[in-house]
Amino acid sequence: MPPKLTQSSRPSSFNPKPPRKAKASKATTVKLDAAPLNLQRINPLTAFSNTPPSATADATRKASQPSQKSKGKEKEACTSTPVDRSDDCLWVDIYEPTTEAELAVHVKKVQDVRRWLDEALVGGSGGKLRKYRRILALTGPAGTAKTATIRVLAREMDCEILEWRNAIGETSLNRFGDDPQSYDPDHESLISKFEAFMTRASTCKNLFAGAQAPEKNAKSTPLSSSSSSSSSRSSPRKRQILLLEDLPNILHTSTQARFHAALQALVAAPSASPVPIVVIVSDAGMRGEASDERLASGAWGKDRDGVLDIRTVLPKDLLYGPYVTQIGFNPIAPTLMKKALQSLITTHFSSKPSGSAPSKETLDIIIETSNGDIRSAIMALQFSCVVVASGAKTRKKQSGSSAKVVLAAITRREQSLELFHLIGRVLYNKRKGDPPNPSATAKDIQKDKELDATLKDPPKLPSFLADHARRTSRVNVDSLYANSPIDSSLFSLYIHQNYTQYCNETEECEGVAEWLSWIDSSGGEAWYQANPHRFHLLTLGTLHSLPTPVPRRSQKVFKPEFFDFLTKEKDAWDAVRDVRGWIAEDAVLKEANSWRLGGWSRAEVATELGGVLKARDAKQTRAKAPASHRLFTNMPFVSGGEHRGLRQLGEGETSSDTVDILEDDGGPRGGWSELADMQSGGWLENDDIEEF
Amino acid sequence: MSLWVDMYRPRALDDLHYHQGLSARLKSLAASGDFPHMLFYGPSGAGKKTRITCTLRQLFGPGVEKLKIDQRVFLSPSKRKIEVNIVQSNFHIEITPSEAGNYDRVVIQELLKEIAQTQQVDLNAKQRFKVVIINEADSLSRDAQAALRRTMEKYMSNMRIILCANSTSRLIAPIKSRCLLMRVAAPDNTEMQTVLTHVSRRAGFDLPPDAAQEIIQDSGGNLRKAILVLEALKMQSPDLSGPLTIAKPDWETYCQKVANLIVTEQTPARVMEIRTKFYELLSHCIPPTVILKTVAEAVVSQVDETLKAEIMHWAAFYEVRMRIGSKKIYHLEAWVVKVMSLYKQSFYQFDISEFE
Repeated sequence: MPPKLTQSSRPSSFNPKPPRKAKASKATTVKLDAAPLNLQRINPLTAFSNTPPSATADATRKASQPSQKSKGKEKEACTSTPVDRSDDCLWVDIYEPTTEAELAVHVKKVQDVRRWLDEALVGGSGGKLRKYRRILALTGPAGTAKTATIRVLAREMDCEILEWRNAIGETSLNRFGDDPQSYDPDHESLISKFEAFMTRASTCKNLFAGAQAPEKNAKSTPLSSSSSSSSSRSSPRKRQILLLEDLPNILHTSTQARFHAALQALVAAPSASPVPIVVIVSDAGMRGEASDERLASGAWGKDRDGVLDIRTVLPKDLLYGPYVTQIGFNPIAPTLMKKALQSLITTHFSSKPSGSAPSKETLDIIIETSNGDIRSAIMALQFSCVVVASGAKTRKKQSGSSAKVVLAAITRREQSLELFHLIGRVLYNKRKGDPPNPSATAKDIQKDKELDATLKDPPKLPSFLADHARRTSRVNVDSLYANSPIDSSLFSLYIHQNYTQYCNETEECEGVAEWLSWIDSSGGEAWYQANPHRFHLLTLGTLHSLPTPVPRRSQKVFKPEFFDFLTKEKDAWDAVRDVRGWIAEDAVLKEANSWRLGGWSRAEVATELGGVLKARDAKQTRAKAPASHRLFTNMPFVSGGEHRGLRQLGEGETSSDTVDILEDDGGPRGGWSELADMQSGGWLENDDIEEF
Repeated sequence: MSLWVDMYRPRALDDLHYHQGLSARLKSLAASGDFPHMLFYGPSGAGKKTRITCTLRQLFGPGVEKLKIDQRVFLSPSKRKIEVNIVQSNFHIEITPSEAGNYDRVVIQELLKEIAQTQQVDLNAKQRFKVVIINEADSLSRDAQAALRRTMEKYMSNMRIILCANSTSRLIAPIKSRCLLMRVAAPDNTEMQTVLTHVSRRAGFDLPPDAAQEIIQDSGGNLRKAILVLEALKMQSPDLSGPLTIAKPDWETYCQKVANLIVTEQTPARVMEIRTKFYELLSHCIPPTVILKTVAEAVVSQVDETLKAEIMHWAAFYEVRMRIGSKKIYHLEAWVVKVMSLYKQSFYQFDISEFE
């Protein structure tokens, strides 16, 4: 691969040319404004170091390859003999995995992805599935080897990855140029470039598939000139995968619409051999902070702003349609990660005998603190090796705890508490001196004891408050709040859905229900009057009301039904509107009666019209009301069976699937405005509420 | 095929069957030439809207019955489009601002400004002003009410507002003081009997007095409901003789059964079951206040005398919270749990006193 390609892509610290080139342009050219075009950005740390200029092209290419094709992603494995400068390079880049065996992902996940790719490229066993294998969405937390899996599989299956990259700072050139009036007809926005990229990538075949790099480079020139580089791999065959990871700014509404349209067009286009698209979306790990955050900042913002998840990336009909397959990646399991890290250490220190490998404890701490993020684990590993190598040898006998502090400081992720654990923590209501769980391990019991030792007993309450005496809680509400992945309104829904299982008596239920009710109404009608302490109040109130200890009877945590019923309610309101329209239409036909047009309010239709509509249905002779009226008139009473449609909350699940419906609350809701809102067909969005 | 309720609605003040005093007053008001802003309030099915339309006819003549429906689009401050259906004639305009949800203030302001700024050009028109009817005024948001308050004074010269509400308690005092309050009480049994007989005669059959009594008992002063039931019954058994089973809407029976659930068992599991039922009711568009009221009444009818007051007290208490809060289900459930624990306590106390 000639250095030309690296020039057009991001600068690489391995390229020995930049310093010379920069000097040359300064020395020979007088026209200064031409210089930046040729001038490459140089890494000041490495550019002038005494790189042997005779570094072979081969070594340069091999070493620069990983950094060029990925933005420092995923676990890497040694692909070639590391050059001397590998100290400056991140291990994540150097040791990218090359074979499936090296991937630290669970075998089943890799199999899933492989099967999908197989079906998409060849058609699978029956050959019919190819039509439906158009988009693969890989989701999961950051650092779970999503991109690495695709790259490894693409390499193994011998296909070419076309990747979209966003350009940076190009658009502003025009606007702030010398002449603000100048209009550049050639200027195209990023999204139109993206659209062009998509069409080209999906329809155009690589003419020079058999040939080598220069031609390939020529083909990708239009793309890379719009600074999207198709990182082409040499492949004898024409099979291609379209990789979308660096997406256009889809949080901008119109960009999102066009992005969706481009995807839909691509899927809808009939094609004999469609190019499969792989979309990689890392879970942002953001909590669906609806109102609390806004309260703090006072800023107007839509809830969904900044939440980049698969729902915003793919249009809804596509996401739930047959063309999209979604594969979720889980955090890397500690055992897998340990294996991967150990093999990495072995490769590293076998090729580079200087320095000493980190101790086993360090490795354990790294794995423990990384929370399944392998990228951060490798980073931490490299860091710890650097520290050990450069630090004095005397410090080698560091105590485990201080090393832990250091490592925790560099690897800790902000969001570490999962929804499942949050709810469990609150609802199990553990207090000081609780008997340990029969299934608890000795380590857990020890932990509890340590925790209990730090807790102070509350002062004794006077006799008239004796009802309220509780042992000190083991739950630290502040840290729960800090680590909660969901906002207080969603949190309250989860508590509401699940608290009854944890109560023995109605009196305990009464406490929790009363708190829920009070907290919901403790603010004012407008969002800015909402109670800012809802989370704390609810947690403390729930803990206070629940029995202690909570009896274990294999309770299951369920997702709130609230949203399901909200959608149902919305449908029913649509039906009410239909019926109202039907009444009005009737009246218009009979001119004489037309003056009762607006006479029926929605509540009246919903509550009073049921009998007549049913009677009409039974009669079957007269003009029929719209059949949708059954949505609100027909209500068979089913006793029992209260667990029909409940969805259990899994351990690894995040709140993201509920967050997008969350926008309905937090707005000023007085009395019937909720119904009215439904009627108008649109969901209330917080930024639409004007300030007074 | 229109509903009887709409077909046989009286159209002039003279045709009204009850509240003759009110009709006479409305008539003289319309004739006086000094027509005020008005607020009609009273229980649903009492005839508020009928009286409003009759008054309009009195004011403007039969031309007011030539109606058309417009769909208007308003822009919210954040450029969101709000579609509202507006019924209007040459002389009046009728809006249900709650259709606009949280943007009712925008709709009210825009519409009123528009109407207020256009003068009546028809020289033959009986009145110089146009009338704006605002339905469901008690669901107007506070902001909208505040917006209304200023407009009512400012554009008095060529616009009158008629508000229609179930109760005045949710209207702000400045609005109430700017309006002439018209209470339309629910009709009593004999009045309802007259109306039902009248309707059945116009529909071409004779209503047996027993059937009429039964319908009236069931309707609880809601004339619209009574006429709807009559129509449904007529459809089911054309001769209306023999024992009649008045088909209640499903949700009413449902509420009744929920009440039974509350009384029969008081456990956390039962709370869960009832919650599902409440969700079901809510998702069938039954307003939460109506649910609370119906269930509370059904519970009260089944419990001991000493508990009744308390149950109703808590129902009222949680209804207030429901109005302020945003998630109705919390408050419904909190009330249920409250009632359960009250019921349980009284039950145990009773037992203990018996043993002593």
